[in-house]
Amino acid sequence: MKNTIRVDRAIKNITQAKLAELVQVSRQTINAIELGKYIPSTVLALKIAQVFEKKVDDVFQLEEKDLS
Amino acid sequence: MKLQYLFPNRFKKIGWIILIPSVVLGVYWLIEHPEPDFLDVTIPPFLIEESFLNSAKDNLLNEVIGLLLIISSFLVAFSKEKLEDEFINKIRLDSLVWATYFNYTILALSIIFIYNSGFLNIMAINLFTILIFFIIRFNWVLYKMKRS
Repeated sequence: MKNTIRVDRAIKNITQAKLAELVQVSRQTINAIELGKYIPSTVLALKIAQVFEKKVDDVFQLEEKDLS
Repeated sequence: MKLQYLFPNRFKKIGWIILIPSVVLGVYWLIEHPEPDFLDVTIPPFLIEESFLNSAKDNLLNEVIGLLLIISSFLVAFSKEKLEDEFINKIRLDSLVWATYFNYTILALSIIFIYNSGFLNIMAINLFTILIFFIIRFNWVLYKMKRS
């Protein structure tokens, strides 16, 4: 699964730490999600999308390898 | 989803304060088998499986060390992090699986290669190592994560 968090953060001009605070996780968790090392739970994905005022599938998208 | 059965964060520090001296004492006990007089007791007959006497003398030091090790390693292993989020939960579970594999691999190798009193020592140590391996692996991954 890939995501556009890094871009969305840049548009909103917020840091990893600020986003982490807004969705009540650690900064490392946001970093791991951005790097594709961690797939967030549905609840966390929804919260992140809410911060960017987007739908969850505008922020998170399936990749080829998820479908095989 | 949040993991249940975790202690509050403040217990972690208490755990470390007990764990470190307990490990040192445990290693010392394995090497020297000290038996301080004030911990000598008589074991009541109903706790002894088979004995020529109705009661038996025992030194409680190894019991005390064992209990301290169990309690303190549980506190260190299963106290929440300051911010225990779902990613940390995942690392926690991964580390527990990893520690289980690692612990029993070592035990299996010991069964094959180590015999007699050496194996008894390994068994005594193995009672506590699964949590110790978990603590090392979990904190190592957290440390690497925090640096990235």
